[in-house]
Amino acid sequence: MTTVLFYILGFIMLTATLLCITRRNPVHAVIYLVAGFFALALMFYLLGAPLAAAWQIIVYAGAIMVLFLFIIMMLGLAPQETPEGPGWRRWGPLVLLSASLMVCTVLLIMQDPAAGKEIGDFYLAPQAVGESLFGRYVLAVEMVSFQLLFATIGAYLLGRPLSKGEGQ
Amino acid sequence: MSLSDLLAMLPILILAFGATAILMAGAWYREPLPLLAGGIVTALLGALSAGLVTPPVPEIAGLFSAGGYARFYTILWSLLAAAGLMTGSRYIIEKRIGAGEYVSLVLYAAAGMALLSSATHLVGLFIALETFTLAFYILIASNRNCALAAEAGLKYLLLGAVATGFMAFGIALIYAASGSLVLPDAVMRLKAETGELQAWGLLGWGMILIAVGFKISLAPFHLWTPDVYQGAPAPVTGLLATGSKGAVVAALVGLLAMSGPVWNDLTDLVWLLAALTMLAGAFGALGQSNLKRLLAYSSVTHMGTLLVGVLCQTSEGFAATTFYVVVYVVTSLGAFAVIASLADGRGEPMTFDQWRGLGYRHPVRCGVLVLLLLSLAGLPATAGFMAKFAVFHAALQSGYIGLLMIGILASVISFAFYLRVTMLLFQPDEKASSWHQGSVFEHTVLAVCSSAVLVLGLFPGLLFGLIRQILP
Repeated sequence: MTTVLFYILGFIMLTATLLCITRRNPVHAVIYLVAGFFALALMFYLLGAPLAAAWQIIVYAGAIMVLFLFIIMMLGLAPQETPEGPGWRRWGPLVLLSASLMVCTVLLIMQDPAAGKEIGDFYLAPQAVGESLFGRYVLAVEMVSFQLLFATIGAYLLGRPLSKGEGQ
Repeated sequence: MSLSDLLAMLPILILAFGATAILMAGAWYREPLPLLAGGIVTALLGALSAGLVTPPVPEIAGLFSAGGYARFYTILWSLLAAAGLMTGSRYIIEKRIGAGEYVSLVLYAAAGMALLSSATHLVGLFIALETFTLAFYILIASNRNCALAAEAGLKYLLLGAVATGFMAFGIALIYAASGSLVLPDAVMRLKAETGELQAWGLLGWGMILIAVGFKISLAPFHLWTPDVYQGAPAPVTGLLATGSKGAVVAALVGLLAMSGPVWNDLTDLVWLLAALTMLAGAFGALGQSNLKRLLAYSSVTHMGTLLVGVLCQTSEGFAATTFYVVVYVVTSLGAFAVIASLADGRGEPMTFDQWRGLGYRHPVRCGVLVLLLLSLAGLPATAGFMAKFAVFHAALQSGYIGLLMIGILASVISFAFYLRVTMLLFQPDEKASSWHQGSVFEHTVLAVCSSAVLVLGLFPGLLFGLIRQILP
């Protein structure tokens, strides 16, 4: 069962990301990417990493993709005119992908209603992730936090309005 | 993490927290000179602490080594940061770049390079690599009035992201095949019982090689190099050409020196990469008429030669490669520092038309440039000759005759374009205009670089003895 689900999810993920990079409309591309991220999250769950699955949905599908959509809308990159051809051509594939994702989710829930350890041979509890992150890998976490600090500084340095006489 | 771990990473802490302190100071206090001086002192303190404080533990938190090799490179990159800040001083002041941000980014990049050179864990390797790459994305585009710099920053960002993707994928495959992230276990366990690499491990190594290829611009992944070097301001290019590449090579050498001959299945591929890189760099440089682009192609050739030393996988090859890295860093930094010191309101002198006859206007600095170019070419009595000789000698001992021939051919070709620049500098040209006289900081860097080139060329044994002691 889990093997079958794995291949179905893999197929959904590849199709969604392939559609994502071939779409002309950036909004459509983002939506397909979200579908791909959902499939990836389910796959993480299937592999026994529920925390990674939750992060995938909250951080990537949720926060980052919303930010992408926001920027696309703000810059007015989305095409204004509707393309030719019947409408289902545009929303059909997405509905199919989402429906299959839904089916996979339902199957997963039926398989493992208590979200316990029955799926797969391996189960990584969120507690273990936390202990490893802030125990063994605490230095790596600190380095990444430094990186975020300097990324913010970079965004500020490159994004603020030009001050008087700068770069002359 | 214990107190002894913290003590062992004292140089990194000095660099990182020094960077943060200068950043905070820069938020209130906008005078560039004191911030710059603070940055230079911090970098020198980092180098000093790496040299003097003996770490109480051999490994920091299981991620980074605190051994002699790591400390050696920590000193080198800290000194590089100090030199980079000195060459960048006039650029920051005249272009009114935020001094606090610039100084802290350079220090932070140095911390990243030092960590990368001492990585003993694939997670540490990955994060350290991203650390200084992130700083360079920003530094390259720091002059926002220059369209070329913005283009260079974007190109470096996009290719850096591609390289990061390959790196992460490669690390994941190696982890999947070996079940370990700790070096050198992770790569040593990749061997199947027959003695060959497992298929997934081989693919993982291939991905990592591609990522390394992007970072140190091996052919065919070198195409970004000339554009980025041309667009980035010369003080940043000096750091980018030396530190960002040297640290990656240092990590590779450290990894291979720890894990023994794990590259046997990859020998042919690396052979091809090295040969292609040396020739692509040498032939690419021939057609250039812009000094920064020429130096970019020259750096491609040098990376190919470095790869020859890495390919040998003998202790002599590793020692030669380490020596080569030091020499290349000193020489290349000096060459970009000359360009930076001449820059004035018109920008940096780049095209050959601007350089023609400049030897009569600025004899001292053009003389230094000639010395550095001849060292890059590998003229005897300069450090470049000893470095090339050591690498080629190691290749000869390991039996890579074909590669040796290609390397010598590339060296001969590179003499042609280095000599072309030398002749150009001293062609009589009435129209040659005067450029900036340079600041004390810049002249200090040039003095240090040129004397290091001469000292290392005449007494290479000093450094070689040290390197033989510290190699893991």
